[in-house]
Amino acid sequence: MFHRFFRHIKEGFIGVGRHFGMAISSASAVMITLVLIAVFVILTWNIQTVTSTIESSISIVASIDYEAESESSRSNIETAIKAIPGIDTVEFRDKDEEFTYYAEMQGEEERDFYEQYRSSNPFHDVFLVSVEDGLDIQEITSQIATINGVYGVYDGGTNTYTLVSLFANIRIFGGALVIALCLLATYLVYNTIKITIASRKDEIWIMRNVGAKNGYIRAPFLVEGVIIGGLGSLIPIILTIVLYYLMYDNLGGSLFGAFTLVEPFPFILYVALGLFVTGIGVGFIGSYISVCKYLRLRR
Amino acid sequence: MISIKNVSKTYHNGTHALYDINLEIQDSEFVYIVGPTGSGKSTLIKLLDGEEIPSKGEVIVQGIDVGKLKHSKVPLYRRNIGVVFQDYRLLPRKTAFENVAYALEVVDAPKDELRKRVREVLKLVDISDKSNAFPSELSGGQQQRVAIARAIANRPKILIADEPTGNLDPKKSDEIIRLLEKINREEKTTILIVTHDIEIVRHHPKRMIAIDNGHVVADLAEGGN
Ligand SMILES: Nc1ncnc2c1ncn2[C@@H]1O[C@H](COP(=O)(O)OP(=O)(O)OP(=O)(O)O)[C@@H](O)[C@H]1O
Ligand SMILES: [Mg+2]
Repeated sequence: MFHRFFRHIKEGFIGVGRHFGMAISSASAVMITLVLIAVFVILTWNIQTVTSTIESSISIVASIDYEAESESSRSNIETAIKAIPGIDTVEFRDKDEEFTYYAEMQGEEERDFYEQYRSSNPFHDVFLVSVEDGLDIQEITSQIATINGVYGVYDGGTNTYTLVSLFANIRIFGGALVIALCLLATYLVYNTIKITIASRKDEIWIMRNVGAKNGYIRAPFLVEGVIIGGLGSLIPIILTIVLYYLMYDNLGGSLFGAFTLVEPFPFILYVALGLFVTGIGVGFIGSYISVCKYLRLRR
Repeated sequence: MISIKNVSKTYHNGTHALYDINLEIQDSEFVYIVGPTGSGKSTLIKLLDGEEIPSKGEVIVQGIDVGKLKHSKVPLYRRNIGVVFQDYRLLPRKTAFENVAYALEVVDAPKDELRKRVREVLKLVDISDKSNAFPSELSGGQQQRVAIARAIANRPKILIADEPTGNLDPKKSDEIIRLLEKINREEKTTILIVTHDIEIVRHHPKRMIAIDNGHVVADLAEGGN
């Protein structure tokens, strides 16, 4: 059993050695893919943190008509808001609290100035609505505006929409790019293994002829694919860890002084592990498809 | 036992290779399959070892319906059958011993038993003295012996040889057939030999199945009736 296991491993290394140029070139493809993935993941992860900070600070303020301040119509409005899909939380603040909230945002002097108007409070009762996904904010705002008894709705406005959808687009575009790169790397491994298979055609033929199981025939090629993937992930892993630590230290943990960067530990180790798994996965899948395709043609 | 019932084979490109073949071959029989080129002899062998699937009818070997085997089950089935070819197909970078051992390794034979069995079959095919020679250092007849040793190492119930003497002179051919007779006797292996060589059939008379144009045109028991 062990003997057999080590034979497959050995055959895998021999295979890499036999087509060293091919192996290196597809390992380089895996490497480039992984470097790009690393850049992208680090970027999105950091943006993600920024975005969620923005998103959680976005809330829609829906003010209530003076005529709709009664207990019953208030709860009607609340029910109507909660019925809109994509709503996270709904919080009520009466106009007194609103007055205090705004008064406290002013300086000492102005506060006193404001306080004299408290009896004729010009504020409305409000609902503070937060949404699950920042992308829905515009849609939800307009829906709340149509509810009976809602006097006005306010959200962060166009700037928030643009920022949130920009980040979302970066994520979508980057994700598509990563998938495309993974497919390309898989394809290159697939081709390398195809060539190794061709060079061992006679051996495979004999194996089949004397009754070697498909799994047995597959094993050394899978090992070879995994070695290629593993080799390809080595440099990106080292680069990622070293460069991120350097960047974090040099920038003092923040970008433009505005966005805080994700702490290197344990974040960067997860990224490194992810790269390793992706590299090996790409190698495994590429070689698996290659051998299976070859074996399926023959009985 | 091999039982071929109403078997026809049409290849994907539309070539009809076999038409409605019916044959029964008992355990431990020794059978020649003869016929002109393109008559369907190799096709018949491919149906037996599971490489091809019959278009019609069924091929039953040792109780197994070969055409219905799942792809993943073919290898296990094939351990019942040893196949030898005209061009030997030995691995050039392995010695005679290693070539035979290889067939046992890939089916996971235990290591000590493996060495014993390799020596045993090399002795049986009378090539023990060339154990450590590479194929390039062996004559055609010697290479064919190694190929036969490899085919029987796994103790298959059936040994099929497609033109095993095609590249050999009459004397060497005769030796190979005598070797196959010995295997048939000593290991009780069913032997199927595809051949063009009528001299061989004449000198070592056995049951002979003649195929022409995809039909069985004659099935003569030993002695020719
Ligand atoms: N894989 C294949 N695809 C399509 N046609 C094939 C295939 N193999 C064989 N044939 C055709 O089937 C027919 C029978 O071929 P087969 O190889 O069985 O003949 P044979 O009796 O072994 O001939 P030979 O004595 O020359 O080896 C031929 O017409 C051949 O061209
Ligand atoms: Mg033939």
